[in-house]
Amino acid sequence: MSEPKSKTSPMPVKRYGALLYRYLRPQWPKALLMSLLLLASIGLQLVVPQILRFFIDQAIAGGLLEVLLRAALLFFGVAFSNQLLAALATYFGADVGWTATNAMRADLTRHCLKLDMGFHNARTPGELIERIDGDVTALSNFFSQFVVRVLGGVLLLIGILVLLWLEHWLVGLILTIFVAIVSWILAYRREVAVPATHAEREANAKLFGFIEERLAGIEDIRANGGGVYTMRRFHGVMRQFFNSGLRAWLLRSTLWTFAIGLFGLGYVMTLGLGVYLFSLGAITLGTAYLFVQYMVMIETPLEQITQQMEELQKAAASIARVDELLRLNSKLPPGNSHRLKAGALAVSFERVSFAYDDKPVLDKVSFQLSPGQVLGLLGRTGSGKSTLTRLLFRLYDPSSGQVRLSGVDTRDADLALLRQHVGMVTQEVQLFHATVRDNLTFFDRSISDERIMAAFRQLGLDGWLERLPQGLDTMLLTGGGGLSGGEAQLLAFTRVFLKDPGLVILDEPSSRLDPATEALLERAVSKLLAGRTAIIIAHRLDTVRRADEIMIMSAGRVLEHGPRERLAQDPRSRFHRLLEVSHHPDADLSLQGELA
Amino acid sequence: MTKIWTTSRFIKRLLDYRFWFFALNLLLWGLFHSLPIFYGLLTKVIFDAMSQEATAGWNLWTLLVLFALTSLSRVGIFNGGVYTFTVFWHKMALLLRRNLLDYLLLAKGSRRLPDSPGEAVSRFRDDVNDVLDYLESWVDFFGTAFFALLALAIMLWIDPLLTVLVSLPLFAMVLLTNALTPQIRKFRRRSREATSRLTDFIGEIFTAVQAVKVASREEEVVRHLQDFNDTRRKAALKDSLLTELLRSLNINMVNIGTGIILLMTARAMRTEAFTVGDFALFVSYLPRLTWIMSFMGDMLAQHKRTGVAFERMQHLLQDAPPEKIVEHAELYLKTDMPQPAAHTEHHRRLQSLHISDLNYRYPGSDKGIFDINLRLERGSFTVITGRIGAGKTTFLRVLQGLLPKDSGEIYWNSEVVTDPASFFVPPHSAYTSQVPRLFSESLRDNILMGQEGDEAALHKAVEFAVMEEDVSALEHGFKTPVGTRGVKLSGGQVQRSAAARMFVRQADLLIFDDLSSALDIEIEQQLWRRLFKQGEATCLVVSHRRAALERADQIIVLKDGRLEASGRLSELLQSSAEMRRLWAAEPEAARREVA
Repeated sequence: MSEPKSKTSPMPVKRYGALLYRYLRPQWPKALLMSLLLLASIGLQLVVPQILRFFIDQAIAGGLLEVLLRAALLFFGVAFSNQLLAALATYFGADVGWTATNAMRADLTRHCLKLDMGFHNARTPGELIERIDGDVTALSNFFSQFVVRVLGGVLLLIGILVLLWLEHWLVGLILTIFVAIVSWILAYRREVAVPATHAEREANAKLFGFIEERLAGIEDIRANGGGVYTMRRFHGVMRQFFNSGLRAWLLRSTLWTFAIGLFGLGYVMTLGLGVYLFSLGAITLGTAYLFVQYMVMIETPLEQITQQMEELQKAAASIARVDELLRLNSKLPPGNSHRLKAGALAVSFERVSFAYDDKPVLDKVSFQLSPGQVLGLLGRTGSGKSTLTRLLFRLYDPSSGQVRLSGVDTRDADLALLRQHVGMVTQEVQLFHATVRDNLTFFDRSISDERIMAAFRQLGLDGWLERLPQGLDTMLLTGGGGLSGGEAQLLAFTRVFLKDPGLVILDEPSSRLDPATEALLERAVSKLLAGRTAIIIAHRLDTVRRADEIMIMSAGRVLEHGPRERLAQDPRSRFHRLLEVSHHPDADLSLQGELA
Repeated sequence: MTKIWTTSRFIKRLLDYRFWFFALNLLLWGLFHSLPIFYGLLTKVIFDAMSQEATAGWNLWTLLVLFALTSLSRVGIFNGGVYTFTVFWHKMALLLRRNLLDYLLLAKGSRRLPDSPGEAVSRFRDDVNDVLDYLESWVDFFGTAFFALLALAIMLWIDPLLTVLVSLPLFAMVLLTNALTPQIRKFRRRSREATSRLTDFIGEIFTAVQAVKVASREEEVVRHLQDFNDTRRKAALKDSLLTELLRSLNINMVNIGTGIILLMTARAMRTEAFTVGDFALFVSYLPRLTWIMSFMGDMLAQHKRTGVAFERMQHLLQDAPPEKIVEHAELYLKTDMPQPAAHTEHHRRLQSLHISDLNYRYPGSDKGIFDINLRLERGSFTVITGRIGAGKTTFLRVLQGLLPKDSGEIYWNSEVVTDPASFFVPPHSAYTSQVPRLFSESLRDNILMGQEGDEAALHKAVEFAVMEEDVSALEHGFKTPVGTRGVKLSGGQVQRSAAARMFVRQADLLIFDDLSSALDIEIEQQLWRRLFKQGEATCLVVSHRRAALERADQIIVLKDGRLEASGRLSELLQSSAEMRRLWAAEPEAARREVA
């Protein structure tokens, strides 16, 4: 994963264009309709001041009342249709915007899911929520409003200037210069606040990440009297939020300062031009008023463009962050398309080494496991047992050596298919706020209820399922609230059952189960292991009694590996000594010495 | 909820915080909003002068210079206003968030989140933002109201009938907007709820990212996300359609107004009873008046929305008195928050703990703990055991006030504990939960959690937790950042860090919930050995390990939330079938088979 360093440099306009193109193209009919509505509305807007001029000049000249009234009615009609068109254009714009950003949210989520675990370990879910929803929502305006307002604004401006040139070259010239200067200043100011806005959003994400993490651990904090300390830390995070927010707001406001000042002067200037030309007799009073009206009309699109530029600053910061995220690549190169055969898999590690953040975890580990065999894996915490199993899923790649499943190097296998063939029950079961069914199938609708029920029956859990108020439709709470740790584990077993893998990894499966439930699972485990290769990670010796082979690890190396029966009977084996020692929990002999 | 506060009361109390600063905001924005009165007046005078065919003399140019100066001074006022408002906005935002978190972490009584942490975060973010939007409106209110009054007065002076005719549609629009407000709120609420569901789901996805990867169900998960996406899109579009129609109507008011002026003055302008200058003034005030009308109408809607936001915040804080949300507090934006004063509260050393008829039932279920009685003495080791769902963890949480007891008493040295939540904290007790949480800080900060200063205590705690070797193996030792929720550590290391966090508090009573769940057996045994050698601690432990059961001075067997049996192991193995069953199923029994 390479973090791009150029966070603060302005995003090239090309990037905005590429994004617009990618996400708007699928919706071109709607986008086209929106543009047509917009064009029509701009045309009508340009007509309005002309009617007013006509009215004033006619009135002053003492024109026919009937003519004046007709002009007034025409004004009504034009103004109304204009608004209707504008409203419709905005609505379609919003629709296009949501559809586009939804696609983007999905893409980002998909992308993040594909990133390696190193990425996820460094980020809170709260932070990713902020990135995937917060940043993208900030972008939704860019998609829906930006084009309508900015493009529409530019067209309107051009229309006004052309009409002004036609009225009088001096007014046309001066206002063209004015618009050019204003646009130049606004464009120049545009990028000023981007880095500050970026920092502001970072501080935002940090603030809410902090809150989320602390709320999730509220019991640990409260019961250990850590509340005051946490609040002190929170004040530090708040200060960062305050300082970066202040800076970003003030920098962004400079755009408005310029806009307000320039338009004030522009208005006075136009009025002055009108007075001057009128005094020369070059224009009528109605035309002088027309100038003022057009000047006021210049203000709206320019202000909107300014506002959109401010939005664009926000969006730019978001685009930069989204882009940063999208440019992160998984450390795992995509696999090839080698497929694995169904059925029990053979496992082989050939001089596999692995380091996590330069910290060696596995050191030239080699072993073989034949199909259908059960391997019991023993070792202290941090000896590399869990990491070893993570390599089988390609959650990480070895830094050297090869991991093979039935002869296929994991790096050559199709990643999705590989993971289909390996199942795992971890100590912590992650559950969604969704139905039991969705939790078991991970939202895979192709798995029928019959299959799920069959799995429950095989596991002997149909009784449990029947007690649920709505069966498979019962909603679970986030993080498994409402379920005991053991019940969550039962679900995890069922998940693996449904997957029907050729290799099963049980990572401390009995950890949070009480003995009675564990007994219930005995049968289920036998069922699960039948006809499959298995690796059981155990901290307790009893867990490995189903193992055909035993492997003891320490500090990333294999200390001992052999058939369980033989090791148990060999008095010189570490396994044997381990068994001995465990009979006497109070024995002075430190087990650590045995395993280390 | 003890008291109900009106939205206005909340807002008033909030604005009282740094009142003079708020007043400064009012002054600056008041000026900013009312200066445009001059624009209309000057435009009128200039056009009138022109239509009387006066030559552009000294007078007209003076007016134009005056106009320019007004514009420039408004720019200066704007800059001052932006600064004061930015500071005001951020302080208000932080005050509200600080108050919410402060109450959740520090208030007396049991504190449980009514929803998921992700949902709770949206109280901190979205609902606080609603309140802030409303405060922003108050900053703008007086200036805009002042402008509106002045403008109407001038217009009435020029042409009363026309002023009334032009204003009528504006009022009609405000009424219409208000009539539609409930509908808008409904749409907005739906859209907000849809957003919540979506963000919650994203949170869940990344909490469960490893499981999703392992299951290779990335596409299915994304597809499910798209369902939430789509629901939200539809909800948001309904919201924006209605809002957009209303907005468009608002803008149209200017045109309707202008149209009315044209119709009404067609005759008068021919006779110059209504001048071009008058016309220019009317047309120049109309947009701002319309904006102000819809702004005021919107403020009414915002008022209601803010009420909902406060309601939700109160729901998050549950039993909190309403003033807590808007409590005035120091924000420490320039200096660090001072270290808390050392415990001045009376610390009563534990002699005995007596629990009598403790009851708790989870709302809306029949699960819980019922009629639990227990007595434990200083220096004793009490083990709570039972099957899944027997109520072991619930019992520990109710005892410590993490869940509010329904009935029953807790006596500490035969004195009643009135608020377990604020009593069962160090130095009285410390806790390691079943799935302990670490935070994205250094290992040291996670263990000490504010208990600064005593290096010896830190090292001793880490030794008790059998963690000293792990610490020295870590790249930066105690300074190692543990990552979010401690992901950079192994499961066992997280649990032992949490145990060290408990030990370092040197509390009288140590409460561990199933410490063994992620520990190797040898480490666990070592931990018990070290703890017993020291011999001082009073322990209340959930476990089903033989090592723990054998050492226990008393064992409490829970079944379906009730106390099934209690006593020493030898007695219980005789008297309790449940105990025999638990004992027989315990892993160590099986070990003999292996050998």
